[in-house]
Amino acid sequence: MEYWSNIINTAMIGTDKKMISDNELPSALTEMVSLIRLNDQIDKEEKFLQIAALALNYRQAGVQPLHKETVRLQPSPAEEKSYCSKSALQVLKDIQSEDSIPLLKFWLQQAEAKRQLVHPELIPSLLAAGAQTKSLQILVAVCCGKRGEWLSRFNELWNFSLNQTAEQLWQTGTPEQRRTIFRQTRISDPSLARVWLQQTWAQEDANTKAAFLEIFAINISEADISFLESASTEKSKKVKEEAIGLLKKIPSAAVVQWYQRELQQSVELKKEKALLGLSSKLVLKFHLPATIDEAIFKTGIEKLSNDKAFTDDEFIIYQLIRSVPPAFWQSHFSAGPQTVIDIFQKDSIGKKMMPALVIATANFKDEAWASNLSQHSEIFYMELLPLLPVQQQEHFSNKFFAQFPDNIIQFAVQRETEWSVELTKNIFIHIAKNPYNFTRSFFSQYIHLIPAPIIAELEKCTPPEEHLRIMWSNTSDYIIKLITLKVQTLKAFHE
Amino acid sequence: MPFTEDQILALAPDEASKKSGKDLANPSKWVSKGANEQVLWGEAQGSGSKPYQTQIDLQQIAFKCSCPSRKFPCKHGLGLMLFYSRQQKDFTSRDAPLWVTDWLSKRTEKDEKKVSREEKPVDKAAQAKRQQARQQKISDGIAELRLWLKDIIRNGILNIPDKGFGYFENMAKRMVDAQAPGLANMIRGAGDCNFYSEGWQSAFMDQLAAIYLVIEGYTNKAHLNEPAQQDIKTWIGFTQSQEELKVQAGITDTWLVLSKQSIEVDTITTERNWLYGTQSNKYALVLQFIVSGQGGQLTFTPGMFVQAELAFYPSIAPLRAIVKTQTATNSAAHFTVFQNWQQVTETETQLCAEMPVRNERPFIIQQLIPVQFNNQWWLQDEDKKMMQLKNEHKSIWKLLALSGGEAMNMAVIGKEDKYEPVGVWYKNEYKTL
Repeated sequence: MEYWSNIINTAMIGTDKKMISDNELPSALTEMVSLIRLNDQIDKEEKFLQIAALALNYRQAGVQPLHKETVRLQPSPAEEKSYCSKSALQVLKDIQSEDSIPLLKFWLQQAEAKRQLVHPELIPSLLAAGAQTKSLQILVAVCCGKRGEWLSRFNELWNFSLNQTAEQLWQTGTPEQRRTIFRQTRISDPSLARVWLQQTWAQEDANTKAAFLEIFAINISEADISFLESASTEKSKKVKEEAIGLLKKIPSAAVVQWYQRELQQSVELKKEKALLGLSSKLVLKFHLPATIDEAIFKTGIEKLSNDKAFTDDEFIIYQLIRSVPPAFWQSHFSAGPQTVIDIFQKDSIGKKMMPALVIATANFKDEAWASNLSQHSEIFYMELLPLLPVQQQEHFSNKFFAQFPDNIIQFAVQRETEWSVELTKNIFIHIAKNPYNFTRSFFSQYIHLIPAPIIAELEKCTPPEEHLRIMWSNTSDYIIKLITLKVQTLKAFHE
Repeated sequence: MPFTEDQILALAPDEASKKSGKDLANPSKWVSKGANEQVLWGEAQGSGSKPYQTQIDLQQIAFKCSCPSRKFPCKHGLGLMLFYSRQQKDFTSRDAPLWVTDWLSKRTEKDEKKVSREEKPVDKAAQAKRQQARQQKISDGIAELRLWLKDIIRNGILNIPDKGFGYFENMAKRMVDAQAPGLANMIRGAGDCNFYSEGWQSAFMDQLAAIYLVIEGYTNKAHLNEPAQQDIKTWIGFTQSQEELKVQAGITDTWLVLSKQSIEVDTITTERNWLYGTQSNKYALVLQFIVSGQGGQLTFTPGMFVQAELAFYPSIAPLRAIVKTQTATNSAAHFTVFQNWQQVTETETQLCAEMPVRNERPFIIQQLIPVQFNNQWWLQDEDKKMMQLKNEHKSIWKLLALSGGEAMNMAVIGKEDKYEPVGVWYKNEYKTL
């Protein structure tokens, strides 16, 4: 439309400087334009306005759609899974309006488990949620099906939904995607994850290496030793430390074996006569060998004590105990865990070494020892909670809740299984008393852990103080809303 | 009740009302409830000692609630409607209590009063005098506006972006004084051009030419036919008496609400309801102005079929209308649509010949596919002809997701060479975008 550009060009500089000429206008308008030009009642500005108005109408009246035979859009392939029910879709809409990522994740998990897809109208909002919250990406991609994969081709922010295999994602994904897929593979197939990492190790930078090693702790085993030993010779201090730290978690690693050998010589269980030789008792003896290999102090063992309660030798032994699997003591003393714990607790130095035993138990994830320590130790150790069976976790969490409320809540929110009603009640009573420390987002964030039957107990969590009571009443309404959405999700996928 | 949950939620005045409404769509919140073909009612336990009485006229979609909320409809109205749409079978009571029947009869009385008020005689002489005085004011205002336009054209539009808000606002205010508020809006429209975007010059010149056409049309109105004169008067800013409109014969039809667009300026919300008459094959634009805190008369939600009589404002191509009577809400009806873009452009060309100045119009076009060409999105018909999408960022993703690259019947609003999709038929259900 060159004529319209000519009109604009004239308008830009003004009729004072230039008037549009006939050859700048379409021939179809010539007759009308000459009539305008002949009108001596109006000045050149009005003549231009009339020509512009005429050209505008000519332009608008002559619009034709663009004809392009070759422009096509490859349609989305047919879905292989079925769509979710209308009720499930409605719950999803309600969840989206609540902005609760855990509830959204919960909904997506149910849909994935039932091999169902979200209806197309909600795919853009789910892909947008996935783009914002990386942890949802894989679930979003699965639940958006072929349509989501097709749609994401047109928006680079949504490219996470492109249906790539885990290995493709590992090789070509974003750093966040690679970490996620590496974590998942380390859980499902630890050796495959190790092989992947070994293949790309040389190309990764130090920070990435350290980040992957952090994830490598999942399902760590003897098979990882040779890779970790080579990683422990890396130039980067960060990578080196991370690799050595991981090696120390493997009982058969050379460094752990070395520590065990040192401990075999340093801690002895001796039978001593008691009551003028009428009876005997088992006594623990702690003493470092006369010569200790100085190289051990290059593996992270400190030579000097930083605690007044420990002598330097005791401190070295403490660190060694902390770094060997607790099962070592069973073979060293030829006794069961309960007896070992008793021996340590009865001895004045042994008692000081108890925290080291607890750390070792947590380090080597020894569930049997965790259970024994929890039951037979004089002190309750929070770090052992994750290693206990769910029932025992619940038992100890409830038993020691009044003593360590914040620690227990901190641990409880990391759980993957729903809390019991009793534990939830304990947590809620604490929250109701401390409303300023726990905002609404706490409930939204951990709704997947909150059991539905707690609804009946909410009133019992009400604090006596009037001002707290009102706050708890409002919070209760919010909790009920979240739980209702959770229950509706379950119902929608199981009806 | 033929409303989907989305349609009910589209009635909500804001997001907070939607959320609260959803919370109230729960049996535990309602002390009593009931429904029949005409009305839906319920008593919601609020924070007060007495429950709030909520009632909804299902025929004309009107809400009433005894709660103190200034929002309209309030959360109780929305909650009750959502609750009913989810669990109709729980509404076992069919006999409306006294407070409901009272409200319904008051509504009928009000309608009757309106009719009697409409019948009051008008002082024609005084009216003619007022009109004459106004015409003089407008003519004076137009003379000034003409000078202003010519001044711009003489000096060129190159420096217009530097003129600032006041340059346009002063002339707009002058037009308000001249009792030509329509022209004032057109001048503000010219000032609102996005001077930072590429091609602002064309949009600005379009607006200048349109203003010039209107003032020329008004000056030469004696040579125009009656409908064209009415269109010009509308552009100038003459209001049309709604009472007079209501006296005229309207078009009774089952109207499909294609889209509801709301714009809030200061404290007034302007609702633009785009309707399509399924039997008459006519399109309508019903405007509603809502002052903040007050409820509107009409409660339309996209996708809803309304049995109503619409009275159209006189025009060469009538589009703007008022609802004369609304009798019921219906379920889906069959209708015909534009076959392709060629038909749309032919209609537009026809309109151009008759109405050189006009706004966007709605069209329902069959089997359009969104396609990408030159990094822009277009809507392609079965003949491979296409038009560019307007405001593509607003609707493209939902449109693409629903379409999946397949053709769909689509409602669009636009003119010339750009159209904004506002709704599609997905599996025989109308979905707004």
